[in-house]
Order: sequence, then structure tokens, then C-alpha cells
Amino acid sequence: MATSSSRPYQGKISYGAPNHERKIWLFMRLTGLVMFITVVFHLLYMHMVVGVENITFDNIDARWSGPAGVFWRLFDASLLFIGMAHGMNGARFSINDYVHNKILNFLLTAAVFGLGLLLILLGTVAIVLGAGGLGNLFQRLMG
Amino acid sequence: MAALVASIYRGISYRGAEGQWAWILHRASGLGIVLFLYMHIVSIFIAAIGPGPYEWVHATLYTSPPAKVLEVFLLFGVLYHAFNGMRIIIIDFFPALGQYQRTIVRIELALVVIVLVPAAIITLRGII
Repeated sequence: MATSSSRPYQGKISYGAPNHERKIWLFMRLTGLVMFITVVFHLLYMHMVVGVENITFDNIDARWSGPAGVFWRLFDASLLFIGMAHGMNGARFSINDYVHNKILNFLLTAAVFGLGLLLILLGTVAIVLGAGGLGNLFQRLMG
Repeated sequence: MAALVASIYRGISYRGAEGQWAWILHRASGLGIVLFLYMHIVSIFIAAIGPGPYEWVHATLYTSPPAKVLEVFLLFGVLYHAFNGMRIIIIDFFPALGQYQRTIVRIELALVVIVLVPAAIITLRGII
């Protein structure tokens, strides 16, 4: 867009009636703000304090056990839900920007959200049942 | 596909300086993080299956030397996306700051480097 002035817009932005995409815009900002704290903490704590080589099965089991384990499971669930919602929507932005063929656009968006929802389900199962929880459940069901 | 390549080429060749590169890196890091997240969730699900399968994933996928190098890319991707996202939020809610956007990008990159360099050194300690 060619404009005669290079000065950025400095006035008041006038908002129209709220619509779907603006709610998503706000959602991306709010989840981004939350994750600036939670995800950066998770990343630096797991990689710098714990160390990736120490994130063994026993480490996951210990972190998810006891009263503190309830907190960490809720914390990890927040990372899972907020992160995936923000990430799937961000992928949708990129698809909409670059893929203008309607059928291909729909297929890619469906793939991102379909796979994403399946992974949210898998992640929830892991957090609820705990480390080794699914294997134990299967053994109990098999007798 | 040709349209996609042309579109990406335009995105890279457009001489928009700091703001343009910040935008491209935000897209690239965001998509990279989503791909990592998909793998990360599968590996945690494998931990719910049992210690045997998880220890195999942990040894082959997360602690091999190539994984250590990829880990630095992950650190950069998440830290950049986080700090650049904060810049986007600040400029979105305080549009008047837009006139300082180049300075804000440079401050943001400095913050990313300050956190990333020690983190990368700690990560690569074992293999260099």
C-alpha cells in the first residue's frame, strides 16, 4: 500500500462491532501473555535446571506424584491446552496467508486441527493416567 | 505450489528490514514449535505406556548429539517467539510506539541473545 507519509498511525483506533476473528486476535494475545510466563519457565526449567538427559521415566513419575504432582499435572495440562490452541490457530493463519486454493486450504486446516485434537487427547490421557498409567491399565484389563 | 513458492519468495525478498524479518522469523519459529509440540506430546504419551518404550525414545530422540544441536534451535525458536510475541502485543495495544519499532526489535533481539547464549552453551557443553 503506497502512502505519502512514513509516519506510523498514532491516533485512536476505532473499533466496530466485535467479530469472530477479533476474538481470535485477542485470544492469541492473552494466551501469548500467559505462555510468556509458563512456557519460558517450562523450557528453561526442563532444559537448564533438570537437563534433558535427566528427564527419564522415573523423573516424570516423581514430578507427577504426590500433592505437588497434582499442581504439575495441572500446569502441564495448561501447557498442553493453551499451547496447542495457540499453535493450531497460528498454523491456520499461515495456511490462510499462503494457500488460496479452497480445497487445499480446507484439507491442510483439517489436517492441522484433526491431528492436533488427537494429540490433545493423547496428552490428556498421559497427564490423567500418569507415567506408565496406560500400560498398567491395560495389564489390569487383560488380567 | 508455484504460488506458495512465489509468495514465500516475495516475503523473503521484500526489503522491509527489521519488521519484515521479525515477522518471517515469528512465522517460521511458530510453525517449528508446533511440529516439535506434536512430537513432544507423542513422546509423553509413550511415557504413559511404560518405562521401556519411553527410555528408548529418550535415548534415541532426545539425548543423541544431533538432538542437542536441534535443542539449541528449539531454545532459539521458543525464546524468539516469546519475546517477539511480547513486542507484537506491546505495539498492538500501544500503537503510538510503532514509530520506535526498529529500536524495539533491536532491544528484543538483544534480550533473546542474552538468554539464548548461556542456555546454548549449557546445552552444548557435553558435545563440544
